[in-house]
Amino acid sequence: MPEGGDRAREEFLSEAQEIVEGLGRDLLGLDEGIRSGRVDPALVNDVFRAVHTLKGLAGLFGANRMASLSHELEELLDDLRLGRVELTAAVLDLLFRSVELYGRILQAEKEGKDQALPEVDDLVRDLHKGLGGPAAASTLGPYDLDTSLLAVLTEYEEHRLRTNISQGLRLYRLRVQFQLATIDQALDELKAIAKPHGEIITYLPTGAGADADSIELDILMASASLLPVLSTALDGRGVEIEEIARRAGAAAPTRQTGKAAAISSLPSLLPPPSPTQGTPSTPIPSHGSLPPGTDLLSNKLPLDMGTIRSVAQTVRVDIHKLDRLMNIVGELSIVRTSLARLVERLRSEHVERELAADVQRLQRTFDRHLGAMQQGILEVRMVPLGQVFDKLARVVRQISRDADKLVNLVITGAETEVDKLIVEELSDPLMHMMRNAIDHGIEPRAEREAVGKPAVGTIALNAFQKGNHVVIEIEDDGHGINTRSLLEAASRRGLVSAEEARVISRQEVLNLIFIPGLSTKTDVSELSGRGVGMDVVKTNIAKLGGAIDLQSEDGIGTKVTVTLPITLAIISALVVKLGERLFAIPLANVQEAVVLEPSGVRNIEGREVVTLRGSSLQLCRLSQLFGLDDQPAAWTPRPGAPAVERSGRVREYVVVTVVGARRLGLVVSTLVGEQDVVIKALGPSLKGVRGFAGASELGDQRIALVIDAPALIDEMLAGGERLRAEGRGYHG
Amino acid sequence: MADLARRVKHGGPLKRSRQQDRGPRTEFLAFVLGGDVYAAPVALIREILKPPPLTPVPRAPHQILGIVSVRGQLVTVVDLRRRLRLVEGPPSRKTRILLVDATGGEVMGVFVDEVLQVYRLAESEIEPAASALGGEVAGYIAGIARPAIAAAARGALPAEAGPDASVVILLDLRSVLDA
Repeated sequence: MPEGGDRAREEFLSEAQEIVEGLGRDLLGLDEGIRSGRVDPALVNDVFRAVHTLKGLAGLFGANRMASLSHELEELLDDLRLGRVELTAAVLDLLFRSVELYGRILQAEKEGKDQALPEVDDLVRDLHKGLGGPAAASTLGPYDLDTSLLAVLTEYEEHRLRTNISQGLRLYRLRVQFQLATIDQALDELKAIAKPHGEIITYLPTGAGADADSIELDILMASASLLPVLSTALDGRGVEIEEIARRAGAAAPTRQTGKAAAISSLPSLLPPPSPTQGTPSTPIPSHGSLPPGTDLLSNKLPLDMGTIRSVAQTVRVDIHKLDRLMNIVGELSIVRTSLARLVERLRSEHVERELAADVQRLQRTFDRHLGAMQQGILEVRMVPLGQVFDKLARVVRQISRDADKLVNLVITGAETEVDKLIVEELSDPLMHMMRNAIDHGIEPRAEREAVGKPAVGTIALNAFQKGNHVVIEIEDDGHGINTRSLLEAASRRGLVSAEEARVISRQEVLNLIFIPGLSTKTDVSELSGRGVGMDVVKTNIAKLGGAIDLQSEDGIGTKVTVTLPITLAIISALVVKLGERLFAIPLANVQEAVVLEPSGVRNIEGREVVTLRGSSLQLCRLSQLFGLDDQPAAWTPRPGAPAVERSGRVREYVVVTVVGARRLGLVVSTLVGEQDVVIKALGPSLKGVRGFAGASELGDQRIALVIDAPALIDEMLAGGERLRAEGRGYHG
Repeated sequence: MADLARRVKHGGPLKRSRQQDRGPRTEFLAFVLGGDVYAAPVALIREILKPPPLTPVPRAPHQILGIVSVRGQLVTVVDLRRRLRLVEGPPSRKTRILLVDATGGEVMGVFVDEVLQVYRLAESEIEPAASALGGEVAGYIAGIARPAIAAAARGALPAEAGPDASVVILLDLRSVLDA
């Protein structure tokens, strides 16, 4: 294999992946089109082109399974495009299946597995069977179009023409002069203006032109709008518009009146048509004003693969390369800290004031650029949540069909950006929540109608940025979580005592859903509800440094809110000390920090509790938990370590940490300050150690362990105690 | 920081010409742990560090001293004295950390009291681990060498007057780190 072969292959895989993702999006668009009864033909073309490209790529890289699948799909899509096959839900199902299969094939290619995927053959067989039969033959109806015109239309154009006529649209002829130099742009503009009014079926040069530098085009357009409307829309563009009369209408048709004279004269301008072949047309004969080689006609060919240069100004980068860059930036920020300290020393020594000032200026500039660089790399890592949402939309379509429920998914904020790694980790939890929403949330159709809800259920998937966080909401308008059966299930399993069950609040009951193994649905469905559900979702979200909250109203619906940090690589943290040891608490989990008032500490059932702003807060003495009180550091840091601050009595602080709705007060000895830190994972040999999310270098080779707030809160507020601690929080 | 390659070139007490009649030799780095001399294959050891500031990890297993940062990478440091149940002396000027390629691709730090020298040992110079040692510790020992005696037999004297290097215990570093 030639050098770089692997790289090229990687390129291929990621490019194919991208195309498949786009394919999925387009199919969703088609799905919507079918439901609304108006399928955008451009979308069908996009799908066709995507599959065509995939076929080409697959051939190039010897991905045979992909090539044969693409080939069959291409046939089907070509038939769809040309109206030989009608686009039905069943056909769309096949197409959706192909998207899933493409994903599987790519995965197999990536892993270098050559085993056969029987599903591919299945699908190919289904594709062969043919579907739905041909679309109803449409006619040219009331239009007496010149047969010679039909002769120059490609099969595709003719199909579009027939479709439009059969939909009862009006036909217009637009005659426009274009400057050759700017024709591409001008034509695009015109298309953009015309698009909302209808469809441009074809455009052909008339052969006339004001001078050698211009060309006149006849544009055949179908539109529902009346002539005046269209005239107004295209006003000021130098467009002559004529409606092509219907046979039944008052005006005599085309040829004799000269109204369609231009159109009917077209064939004489053209060589025998072979437009579907994708070859550029031969130069227009002598009396045309086009210079030889201007291939106007190829523009309208849907399959124009014209240029090899890629359109997108993007590069694909392995995320690990960005990680490495991020590490370097992390190192640089450590240098920055040392530099700042040096500047401090220079300034305090009162010698060489000018030099000190110079160095400080330099340090500030360095600071600024480093900040910009860090920001830049972070931005590169950002991808829109739409990547996951598209997948979800496909899943929703599938699940709702399986469950025989009508669901309308409304997505907002798909453009919200999150770190690539987070997006990757997010798809499974989100998928699970979607399944929950459809399976447990949305009621069966009959039930919905009985309570006066619209038959089609709605699931809203919203994303938006909120400070340094991204919030994702999944909201359904189903029947809400059945708190009674949830509480019963918890009581049965002894998680809640009878006494507790009497005083438990609604929100507390809802939070029970995060306890492993609890499920409200009595019949275990194929989709979800095997009792491994929300607890796993919660764990996965917590791993990403996020939190999850649940609201549910009986009969109205359920809303799950997931809050995530925008990036994992660098986080803001509160640096604290326990004795002389440094620890960092992610600021995302910190609500506030207050001085611990020793007199305010109460002891309840062996746990220390303080009252803060009217509600109770359980304390966790970190130095006790970590066994730091009695055991001196195995290694005294270094002689220059800062001395303990003494102010008479020992003052301690409470850092209030929050994960979701749960709070815990961490008692620390010193607050050092806020700092942006790069979190690095602890080695595999420390995997079993609970309570730390990793460690960060603070400069000077000093390391602070980063506290894993969700894990600590879980540990401290475990089991029944958790309920009670939360109860205090809620009631207080 | 000591560069092993250099150490081998300049510090090896045995002369190359003398070894050639004894077949292939493996290089072992000798170090002191709790007063005894141990050695491990040089091939496993990436680097010898003067101990950087060490950050203990609360709740970690007893034999893990903590983590250090080596050029931006976090490395877990293990105290073999604790795992081998040896006497722990206070850290000194001679204390070093060996960076070792452990199993699973992790680089780990191994705390040693002192680094001595590199021995080039032939198969024939390595005795199988004495069954007399017994217990858990025996599993970590790959063999025993008596380089001083071998050297004396060839007319060379032991190079250092420090800990008694007449018996070197060859550690199976990977299995001791895995445990």
